[in-house]
Amino acid sequence: MHFAYPPRKSSNPPPFRLRPSNLPLRRRPRLRTVLVVLFTFLFGIFLLSRRGSGPDPYHEHEPTGNPPVVIVTVVDPSKFSGSYIKSIKENREQYARKHGYETHIPNVDDYDLVSHHKSWSKIMAMRHALTKYPDCKFIWYLDQDAYIMDPTKSLTSDLLDSKTLGGLMIKDYPIVPPDSIIKSFAHLKSDDARLVVSQDRDGLVSNSIFLRNGDWAKFLTETWLDPLYRSYNFQKAERHALEHMVQWHPTILSKIALIPQRLIASYTRASLGAEYREGDFVVMFYGCTVDGERSCDSESQLYRQKWQTAFQAS
Amino acid sequence: MSLSRSPSPVPGGGWTSPGLNHHSGRTSPVNLSGGPVAWDSAKMRNHNINGYPSFAPQQKTGFFARHMRRLSSNLPRFANSSSPYGHKGKQARGPWYGPNGSLAQRIRSLFGRMGRKLKMRLLVASIVLFCIIIFFNSPLITYWRRASWGYGGEKFVIILGANVGGGVMDWKGAREWAIERDSVRNKKRYAAKWGYELEIVDMSTKKRYAHEWRESWEKVDYVRKTMRKYPNAEWFWWLDLNTYVMEPSYPLQRHLFDDLNKHVYRDINEYNPLNITHPLTEIYLDDEAQSPIGDNKANSLNLLLTQDCSGFNLGSFFMRRSAWTERILDMWWDPVLYEQKHMEWEHKEQDALEQMYTSLPWVRQHTGFLPQRKINSFPPAACDDGTGKVSTRHHYNGDERDFLVNMAGCEWGRDCWGEMYHYREFSYWLNRNPWERFKEDLVAEIWFKITGKRVKL
Repeated sequence: MHFAYPPRKSSNPPPFRLRPSNLPLRRRPRLRTVLVVLFTFLFGIFLLSRRGSGPDPYHEHEPTGNPPVVIVTVVDPSKFSGSYIKSIKENREQYARKHGYETHIPNVDDYDLVSHHKSWSKIMAMRHALTKYPDCKFIWYLDQDAYIMDPTKSLTSDLLDSKTLGGLMIKDYPIVPPDSIIKSFAHLKSDDARLVVSQDRDGLVSNSIFLRNGDWAKFLTETWLDPLYRSYNFQKAERHALEHMVQWHPTILSKIALIPQRLIASYTRASLGAEYREGDFVVMFYGCTVDGERSCDSESQLYRQKWQTAFQAS
Repeated sequence: MSLSRSPSPVPGGGWTSPGLNHHSGRTSPVNLSGGPVAWDSAKMRNHNINGYPSFAPQQKTGFFARHMRRLSSNLPRFANSSSPYGHKGKQARGPWYGPNGSLAQRIRSLFGRMGRKLKMRLLVASIVLFCIIIFFNSPLITYWRRASWGYGGEKFVIILGANVGGGVMDWKGAREWAIERDSVRNKKRYAAKWGYELEIVDMSTKKRYAHEWRESWEKVDYVRKTMRKYPNAEWFWWLDLNTYVMEPSYPLQRHLFDDLNKHVYRDINEYNPLNITHPLTEIYLDDEAQSPIGDNKANSLNLLLTQDCSGFNLGSFFMRRSAWTERILDMWWDPVLYEQKHMEWEHKEQDALEQMYTSLPWVRQHTGFLPQRKINSFPPAACDDGTGKVSTRHHYNGDERDFLVNMAGCEWGRDCWGEMYHYREFSYWLNRNPWERFKEDLVAEIWFKITGKRVKL
């Protein structure tokens, strides 16, 4: 095989190659120049990005836990005998001393209730305790018709620490018995629970509640005290106001831990709720009358001896 | 280059068979470099299947197109590429490629012939130009304004309540549409300029609200919904439809949020048309709740609003995302409160907020008031005390370049569209660019002085 023509050369001769040019940028970089440029660049970025960061975000006051718990009780000396009131106070104070807690036991008349029912004063007392002890971890409101029966039980380690409370919480359960369509939150962690309550037969037990100190506690107590709630004539005053708030406002419902009643509020009357049994933490004479056969005074006599011996023994 | 095809004739170039003509003995630079270009164009045209024979004369139009080749070949050229000035020292510079070298080659050779000083100057000039383009003519400035590490625009969401009263209940007329169009466009531009988010919500009377207690309480619901929709945003700015941003060049950051404490007053006694008792004095409250100014820190402000002559005004207010805001949005509507008060609460949310502010200490501690003209100036027709005087507290002042006009209450007996149109045009006029100012303030004025006639340029 042969070719008629010799192989052709490309008609596109390669262009002359450029000599290495002497651009100033190609010279060996000087360390100082590089540093200056780099610094200017970083400083520019810093200046630009500085605008975005405003003041520090808001943080609510973090209570240090001194005291860990404040026990709040509102007493009404105008209604009940002095010995009864005294035993109530002693009961709280002795218990608090044992565990390093504080008590806040004002009289009903300490607060200006205008014309509303006296039971509203309990919320004022709670709010007052938050003011007086800004570093407490918890407020325990325990009404005046109750005794602490078991002095050995510590609130912080036996009830309110996150593990114990997490195990006790009743989740996804109608918040107001018997069949409210509003149920307690199923995914609430015990550390996020800010209000610990229990239920009796009729509804939430507002006579023995635990409130975790913080902005939310102030929010709850102040809202609870809303003058328009007070003037609404709820049949059971503050108790129904709480039930109302819990059922209408998710910001409140979502912070509530529901626990079994006998842990914090055993009743003497089985018809109203879980009945007190020997060894329970608290006994409540809920439903006791001012005077008569089943007055708070006479009913409390049955238990006064018990707690006094128990407190002395421990 | 493949030579499997016979080359085609090229206008002006003659028969440029590449296999033959490099032996032709011609040394003119025209031919030396012209060869491959002609070959390229021939190839191009062969690929161009356009129905014409490939040797059809090209239709060139125009004098320069037709005579370019003749003109350029008559120009002097420096074929001796190595040293245009005859200096030996300039050997390092790039070769001369002639007019037919590739663009890159030509630029390179041009660059090679420049002095170092000129190069540096050019470099500086191009950097400046580059920066100007980047910062003012590219999406980069928008990106920076939006970014949370930059100017932080994405932290702001404007919620505009549109379509008021429209929908099922009411047909909207041309004026209503025009108001809506102008208002929405105004906010859209403002939001786009500073990188804010704009959420237009439909305030039309819906069945969900019309037959319920909660009629026209949507504001609260929409703020909450928008907070869920923009999880990265911090401040939410509610605007009624009848508002107009008069100064789009004010960013919210500089206008308010960079130095919030300077603008906000917390002690309502400074201006208190509702005569709210402040501060609270209940003994059970802590010092902060009893203080007239709360903790007086800018970061604890979660609600910013203004007061007009008759109390709180929710035509333009800010809410910050926070646990507090969730609570107040949740408490805002409560059946027990509503049941007792709905006959008195003419302005629904506004009255409910006043009620909350009055009775709840936790609300007071995180609420701040802005001077009304900061974010919510009224036209003179609103808040009119009967004397027709312009109030320095409530009414829009063009000389001081107030930020926003809220034509509050214009739907009751006033001309909403007229006011909107007036303020729109006034805002345009205030924010003319320098060229317009030159034309209208100088040229037209001079013209007026000379001829005595007004002209529109």
